[in-house]
Amino acid sequence: MPTLVSLLLLLLLAPAVAAGPLDAPGATSALACSACHGLGGQSPSNTMPIIAGITPWYFKKAIQDYAAGKRPSPEMEPYAKMVVQFGVDEIAAYFAGQPRTPSSVKLDAAAVERGRAAAAQCTVCHGVSGKGDASKSVPDLTGQPPGYLRNQMLLFKSDRRSPGDDTLKAVKALMKTIPDEQFADLAAYWSSVR
Amino acid sequence: MSHWTRRHFLGTSGIGLGLLAAGCAPTVSDFAQKSGRRVVVIGGGWGGATAAKYVRLADPSIEVVLLEPNKEFVSCPFSNLVLSGVRSIDSISFGYGGLRARGVRVLHEAATAIEPDARRVKVGDGYIQYDRLIVSPGVEFQWEQVEGLAAAQDRVLHAWKAGPQTVALAKQLQSMADGGVFVLTIPPAAYRCPPGPYERACQVAWYLQTNKPKSKLIVLDANPNVISKTGLFRAAWTKYPNLEYRGSNKVVKVDPGVREVTTELGDKVKYDVVNLIPPQRAGTIVVSADLVGADKRWCEVNHLTYESVKHKNVHVIGDSTTGLPVPKSGNIANAMGKICAVAVTRMLNDKPVPAMAPGNTCYSWVSDREAIAVVNSYKIDGDKVVQIEQKLTPGQSEAWAQNAVGWATSIWQDILG
Repeated sequence: MPTLVSLLLLLLLAPAVAAGPLDAPGATSALACSACHGLGGQSPSNTMPIIAGITPWYFKKAIQDYAAGKRPSPEMEPYAKMVVQFGVDEIAAYFAGQPRTPSSVKLDAAAVERGRAAAAQCTVCHGVSGKGDASKSVPDLTGQPPGYLRNQMLLFKSDRRSPGDDTLKAVKALMKTIPDEQFADLAAYWSSVR
Repeated sequence: MSHWTRRHFLGTSGIGLGLLAAGCAPTVSDFAQKSGRRVVVIGGGWGGATAAKYVRLADPSIEVVLLEPNKEFVSCPFSNLVLSGVRSIDSISFGYGGLRARGVRVLHEAATAIEPDARRVKVGDGYIQYDRLIVSPGVEFQWEQVEGLAAAQDRVLHAWKAGPQTVALAKQLQSMADGGVFVLTIPPAAYRCPPGPYERACQVAWYLQTNKPKSKLIVLDANPNVISKTGLFRAAWTKYPNLEYRGSNKVVKVDPGVREVTTELGDKVKYDVVNLIPPQRAGTIVVSADLVGADKRWCEVNHLTYESVKHKNVHVIGDSTTGLPVPKSGNIANAMGKICAVAVTRMLNDKPVPAMAPGNTCYSWVSDREAIAVVNSYKIDGDKVVQIEQKLTPGQSEAWAQNAVGWATSIWQDILG
């Protein structure tokens, strides 16, 4: 009966509660986020960004700007205040530690190719890889849902994302040079990059 | 569009159907005795399905039994779009395969009684024991509040629980002759989904304007004014001259023989199609289990654990609750499901319950392509849920509608995936 004995031993040695996905520090504080951003920040939708694996500086800047009303969003402003209430550092660390999978939103192959041809203008800041540069406060574009990326480009172009934020001058100036119809192509391309 | 579609849900649930075909469908007798710790969840809607999933996530060693008579989850949010023909009922209907894949034992039976002292639930002729019970029964209609309604349930539709009535009301609307009058009646608060009737008014008015331009919509509201997103709905309605809104018009009688409703003030209003949303209370099972408060309508709960203030080891979530400063919304039920699941697992493991608060994101479609939204966030102050902030969209737009689709895609997976 060695199998039974080892099974009993395993049961005896096992902790009362196996560490599950809700046992990580910050996991329960972050539960309100999963309705839109998915379990662990892995958004399944086209318009909600994936925040699994997000670098803490970018998460914290977004939350602080939303909470202060600097980055206008009727959806995120109240939730950002909630995140601040429950502890932005812990929640930032939680999402940073979550495994990130690229968006599952289906992409139009032709749009991806058109976007690839036009993507050089983005790489000046975001790098050839599109992964960004934390030391320069430049975020990772890759694998995000295309709807989210396109919406952000439109918001930058019309200066409705964080109006008056000096750190975003360059990206807003660039967006003004790009025709609206090219945003979907660029979004599809960066969404496709792994 | 995400790959997480209805096909995915049904594809997964096909596993369950396969088991059914093989004679492996669980029955009440399979659950009569419990060996380990067990949480029973009554109701597989926005609150209950979420709670069942998250108990398994929080502690996979706990057995979870979900009692839900319906084989499919049909989303109330977005169901007004089925009335206007903008979406199909199939696009808002999902199976329970995702929950089964997480180890939830889904039993398509109705719980008929709760025995808190014996810690068991009656199902058919048998009983299912629990260590802790989560009840998410939604709302029940107070048919008796409107004279003539109880006997006319087959013709006078509510469509306030998404499903066959949603499809039937859409057919009534489509069959109405151009030039007809559609009457929508709204019950006094509190009821499920405060902005829902006003969104429905938008969808019916949009449909009539587009398809039956000589027709008219009369909204008879028991409340003195639009009770949610007031300014935004009022602004949206300026585009619908076919919509006549009458506040403080509580409907107390319906006579389907002469197609007429009567208000509390004695006004009689003729209709070609009526959509009568009845007054509401907590689901019948929590009323008969003495979980409702002195008002005999809603259940008071602990704000941190959702445990009933009346019976130990019984937790109530979703539209049946009262006393929290939150709307009766799907998003709130989903949030309560998660918080309650964590609380229940921590209590079963003799661990402290973390302070968690719900949030509410609520979109309303004001046409076939534009939406508005209200968002509420909350915190825990002492041992009570307190609102931090409420924000409204500055207007209506296609962008908010795209966000609404994104929200629905995500939260349906959060509930069932």
